[in-house]
Amino acid sequence: MSDDRLWKFRKPAWMNSAAARTAGVYGSGGLFSLAFYTFLDSAIWSKSSLNGSDVHVTFIDWLPLIFSSLGMLIINSVEKARLADDSWSYSGSGVAWKARVVLFLGFAALAGGMAGGVTVFVLKYVVPGVGMPMMGMGIENVVANALVGSSSVVLWTAQRLSLPQETKLIR
Amino acid sequence: MPHAGLKTIIALSFVLAVGFLLVILSCALWHNYHPLLVVATYVIAPIPNWVCGHCANPDDFVDGSGTAVVVDLGRFCTGFLVVMGIALPIILAHSDLISVGAMAMSVVGGLLIYGTIISFGMFFQEEQEF
Repeated sequence: MSDDRLWKFRKPAWMNSAAARTAGVYGSGGLFSLAFYTFLDSAIWSKSSLNGSDVHVTFIDWLPLIFSSLGMLIINSVEKARLADDSWSYSGSGVAWKARVVLFLGFAALAGGMAGGVTVFVLKYVVPGVGMPMMGMGIENVVANALVGSSSVVLWTAQRLSLPQETKLIR
Repeated sequence: MPHAGLKTIIALSFVLAVGFLLVILSCALWHNYHPLLVVATYVIAPIPNWVCGHCANPDDFVDGSGTAVVVDLGRFCTGFLVVMGIALPIILAHSDLISVGAMAMSVVGGLLIYGTIISFGMFFQEEQEF
C-alpha cells in the first residue's frame, strides 16, 4: 500500500486516524470563521466612532474575500477521486477533464482573492499613506484572505487522509 | 464513557448557571445587550452537527474516504459557530460597542455554557449498538 511513496519521510501514524480527520474538519471551520470575523471586524470598526478618518470599508474591500470564499467552495465541492479517473469508462464523458477545469477555476478564484486583498491594501492604504489605526483595516483584509486559503488547505488535507485498513473494510 | 450520576448533573447545571450569570451580568452591568448574541451562538452551535449526522445515510460511506461528506459539512459549520462565539465579543469590544470587561465576561461565560453542552452530550450519550 505504501510502496509507491515518493517522499523519504512517512506520514506519522496518528495522522491517519479518524480523530485527526475530524479535528481537521473542525479546525478548517474554525479558521474560516476566524477569517470572516477578522474582516467583519475591519468593516464594523470602519463605521464605529473610533475611526476618525474618512477612509471606510466599501464593497471593493469585500470583493477579495467573496472571491476567496467562492474559490474555497468550488475547490472543496469537486469530488477529488474524479481527478484520476482517466480510465476508459470515464473517457466518454470526460469527467476528469471537467474536474480539472473546475478545480483550476476554483484555485484561480482563491489566488485571485488573495492577490485582490494585497491590491486593495496597497492601492487604498499604503500608496495614499494612511496612518496606523486606519491601516489596520487593510491589514485585516490581507490576513482574512490568507486565513481563507489556509482553511481550504486544512480541509483539503483532512479529507485526503486515508483511514486505516480495518475501517476501510467496513464500508 | 465515565459513569454519570446525580453529582454530574448537579455540577453541570451549576456550571451552566455560572455561565449564564456571567453573560447576563456582562450585558446588564453596562446596559448593553449585545453580548447576549454569544448565548444564541453557542446554543445553535451543535445543531448543524446533529442535523447533518441524521441526514447522512449509510450508502454515503462508499465514497472511499470512510466518512460522509454531509457529516463533514456539519462539522465545518459547528467549528465556524464555536469560533464565532469567541470572535463576536472581541469584535464588539474592538469597535467600542461593548467594554473590555464585558468582552472578558461574555467570552468566559460563553465557554462555560458551551463546555456544559458538550460535556452533557458526552456523559449522557446513549450507547449506540448496531
